[in-house]
Amino acid sequence: MVEKRGWLILAIIFLFIFSLPWIVMAAEKKVVRIWHTETEPQTVAAFQQIINDYEKLNPDVTIKQEALAWGDLEAKLTAALAAGAPPEASHGQAVTCASFYAKGLLRDQEDIAESIGKENIWEAVRRQCFHDGKYYGIPHSAATSLLIYRKDIFKAKGLKPPETWDDFIKMAQAMMERDKDGRVTRYGLSLPGVGLFINILVGELTKANGGRLFDKKTGRPTFTSKEVIEVLEFYKKLNDTVLPPGWLGHGYLDTFANLATGKAAILYQGYGRGAGYIEKYAPKEMANPDHFGVLVKPRGPSGKETAAQIDAEPWMIFKNSKYPEEAAKFLKFFFKEENYIKYLHTVPIHLLPTLKSVRNNPAYWANDMVKKWKEWLDMQYRYFEKDQAKPTLIIEWDDLKLPFGLEILGSGIIPDMVTDVVRGMPPAQAAAKGQARAEELITKLGYKRW
Amino acid sequence: MNRFKIQKFSNRLFLYGAALLLALQASFPFFWMASTSFKPPSEVFAQPPSFIPHQVTWDNFKRLFTSTHFLIYFRNSILVSGCTVLLTMIVSAIGAYSLTRYQYPGREKIAGLILCTYMFAPIMIVIPFFILAKKIGIENTHFALVLAFTSFCLPFTLWLMRAFFKTIPIQLEEAALVDGADRIRAVIHVVLPLALPGIIATSIFTFILAWNDYIFTRILITSDELKTLPVGVQDLFHSALIDWGLIMSAGMMITIPALLFFVTIQRYLIRGWGAGAVKG
Amino acid sequence: MKEISIQKFELASIRVLNSIPNFIKRRGLDSLTKGIRREQLIGYITILPAFALILGLILYPVAYSIWLSLLEKHSFFPQERFVGLENYFYLWKDPEFWSSLKLGVIYSGWTILFQIILGVAAALILNETFIGRGLVRAIVLFPYMVPTIVAVILWKWLLNDTYGVVNYWLLALGVVKDPICWLGADHIMLSLIIMSIWQFFPFVLLSILARLQTIPPELYEAAKVDGASAIRRFIHITLPQIRGILFVVILLRSIWMFTKFDTVWLMGEGAGAGRFIRTLPVYAYMRTLTYYQAGLGAALAVIMFAILVVCTILYFGLFREEADIG
Repeated sequence: MVEKRGWLILAIIFLFIFSLPWIVMAAEKKVVRIWHTETEPQTVAAFQQIINDYEKLNPDVTIKQEALAWGDLEAKLTAALAAGAPPEASHGQAVTCASFYAKGLLRDQEDIAESIGKENIWEAVRRQCFHDGKYYGIPHSAATSLLIYRKDIFKAKGLKPPETWDDFIKMAQAMMERDKDGRVTRYGLSLPGVGLFINILVGELTKANGGRLFDKKTGRPTFTSKEVIEVLEFYKKLNDTVLPPGWLGHGYLDTFANLATGKAAILYQGYGRGAGYIEKYAPKEMANPDHFGVLVKPRGPSGKETAAQIDAEPWMIFKNSKYPEEAAKFLKFFFKEENYIKYLHTVPIHLLPTLKSVRNNPAYWANDMVKKWKEWLDMQYRYFEKDQAKPTLIIEWDDLKLPFGLEILGSGIIPDMVTDVVRGMPPAQAAAKGQARAEELITKLGYKRW
Repeated sequence: MNRFKIQKFSNRLFLYGAALLLALQASFPFFWMASTSFKPPSEVFAQPPSFIPHQVTWDNFKRLFTSTHFLIYFRNSILVSGCTVLLTMIVSAIGAYSLTRYQYPGREKIAGLILCTYMFAPIMIVIPFFILAKKIGIENTHFALVLAFTSFCLPFTLWLMRAFFKTIPIQLEEAALVDGADRIRAVIHVVLPLALPGIIATSIFTFILAWNDYIFTRILITSDELKTLPVGVQDLFHSALIDWGLIMSAGMMITIPALLFFVTIQRYLIRGWGAGAVKG
Repeated sequence: MKEISIQKFELASIRVLNSIPNFIKRRGLDSLTKGIRREQLIGYITILPAFALILGLILYPVAYSIWLSLLEKHSFFPQERFVGLENYFYLWKDPEFWSSLKLGVIYSGWTILFQIILGVAAALILNETFIGRGLVRAIVLFPYMVPTIVAVILWKWLLNDTYGVVNYWLLALGVVKDPICWLGADHIMLSLIIMSIWQFFPFVLLSILARLQTIPPELYEAAKVDGASAIRRFIHITLPQIRGILFVVILLRSIWMFTKFDTVWLMGEGAGAGRFIRTLPVYAYMRTLTYYQAGLGAALAVIMFAILVVCTILYFGLFREEADIG
């Protein structure tokens, strides 16, 4: 008995030692690593299909995709860059792309643009990562944030589309519902309380209020300006009137659950992707654009026109990666219409084509979701065509020249201003606090120019 | 009934009540997870919530296995955790043996120093570790993960194993040596079998750490086919279209094997942990 | 066939082990008497793998972080500037640092306290004999082995303010009039603490229960005959017996809770309501990976380390007796 056990342990040790090389073996081929943030299983599968097709044509290359949750991408990129081992290509937000460009990390993508046809890239997303006359990032697709509302209730109450923020609050209040004890059964609005989404909304609202977050010339934060303070006041008003009391703890997806299940009447930070969510979780007879419509977002008291946020991550190719050329070659393949449409159709209402030719391609329109939720698509096109949509934290395209957007976005300074205000700090005071922190951060990073 | 009996009865009542409460607090979340995983989407958000699904569906599980890489992640998790346990056990058994059976200067210092390593937040080790892995050329391999987890478990397992080896009388080995066995033979045939409960307890700790790790795997592993379960689940959770049924079924599939494993070895575990605990 | 090869392996490894001292002897390092020297050498050789792993894979990163904390460095660019202790002075004046320290202490303090109380209580219960004890013992350990990510998702699901089952029950039973926003700014710390206790007290339970099982039953029987109450029995018999292991468990759990990152981060992700659970490890992570100030992040980690070392030394000093048993 004892004898046997000894043998067993030795055998296991043996097995382990022999399996080591097998474990280490993984990293020997010509491997192109591609990181992206489209984690939905069907998108990952479609992307893999494109990869498989590509590998068949190019047997010397192996492409490895990694679909990453949003919050994880930056952490992973940081670790990889610090170790000098960036992936060949990756998604990134416009500010990330700008930041990486400023630091000389990116390979230009003129050749990819040529192969797609420079004129074929949709004007609305051309400037996502376009610096000094060259493309450094071409968006994998495009989308804008949407104001999504319960059309049936809106109609039943005979409401009018809101022009200003005050109108909007009135509309949301009118759509709220209480039971006979006065308890709220449906809130007027649902907003995500997650840092990234507060950053996005503050940028978007500031633009809709005619303000700026950073001075045009010096890049100095302008959080204490009247326009930004009005944004903070708006947040406070929403919090006091139409938002559920625990909204700061809601994730982006909670807001969609709230809308789909009738716990909230409006989303201000909805996205096309949500159509799929509604189809899944809303009662069958309601899961259509007659019940869930989109409206033009209102403008702020100091603003002239509305604004939305662009969600269109450019592909970035890292100069110092092992096989940047192979990555570029693959991206050209990715943008081939027959491949590209397959990819877009995995989330049809959220992944709008970067290529104009695709919009004219009947194959693109031959999709049930696209047909059904056309109203949602049209609204996104509207924001794009009027150039009212800008990337996160960007008010004017020139803001992308500021090299510290990435750090401000990550620092949580802007969301902290909002949480302060919502929890009762006077907006001016919260703004001053945020301003001081942002100035300090920019100074410490060595980008102070004022 | 006399006073004594009443008191005895109420003591029993209290005991069973408390045991029930303990079982409930641990099992209710699990039960709720199971319940959700069998619900169709339309029932997931139902108010009032249904505890037993009105309409039991296997669809979530079907999708889990067909439309995600769950099985690959699962295999990776088993592989990485298994290798970590093996490597940790070998190294810490040898190390603990050394700390209890050999006399050399600095022995106690080493033991102290090792405990000290726990005081540095693991999260701050990730990036330097990644850089190191890159230098050796093992980034994006399971091997790097195994090394990372092993070095994290070692301080604790070494300490635990040392306690176990202390409880095994050295005379047993000496007797075996006198019988003509050499040292390695004596260790394998005499010491290890006696230390088995301790080895099991320590393995469990190691296994749980490796099985649960999120952040190291996230940073160190870049290929999908090398990801482990926690990272895979996080991606599912964040894939902007959260699918509660799918997530909960994934949770079920992660938990059940571990649970089964736990129930079967629970006996050894507590005994093992206890023997080690005799001396700290 | 197989057995032969294993035997060979055994022989070979013995030969290697034996030859190492000889090898060194030939180099003229034999100043000590043969027996002791050989003994010591094998001792060093056998501890070496463990020591090397820890040294290489943990101490190196730690040393690197300490060096980093003296630099001003962006997280992913090689340029660096030596600034001495400037990062530490900066943090001293940083209100965010103090608030994260406060949150970290609140979090670890409450979770440790309740983990220990609940863990010991549960261990005492599960040490009694009752029907179904084996099953309960297995079930109770469940929370400890669920991957953190699953536990967090599960709790977010249970605690959700609009469709979570916890609120549903509280409302149905009439405990509260309005749903509680468990994950909102006001209660997120409470929810996090509850969840962490749930997740980690089984570790305490396991360690204490294991120790309880080795207490000779005779000790209790004598006390029972004397008619000592349960509380007195606990204080006079059980407590002295579990003192040693309790000392170690408290130490380990404190260290682990104070540096706990994944649960806290996954629960709040640093901003929004997460701001109210931005504990020290989370803040250190953010400085490094979202502010991209690697120097400051490392300084925070070093401060955390220093706090723990000081507390541990104090702890050892205060409980000298227990430390000896442990």
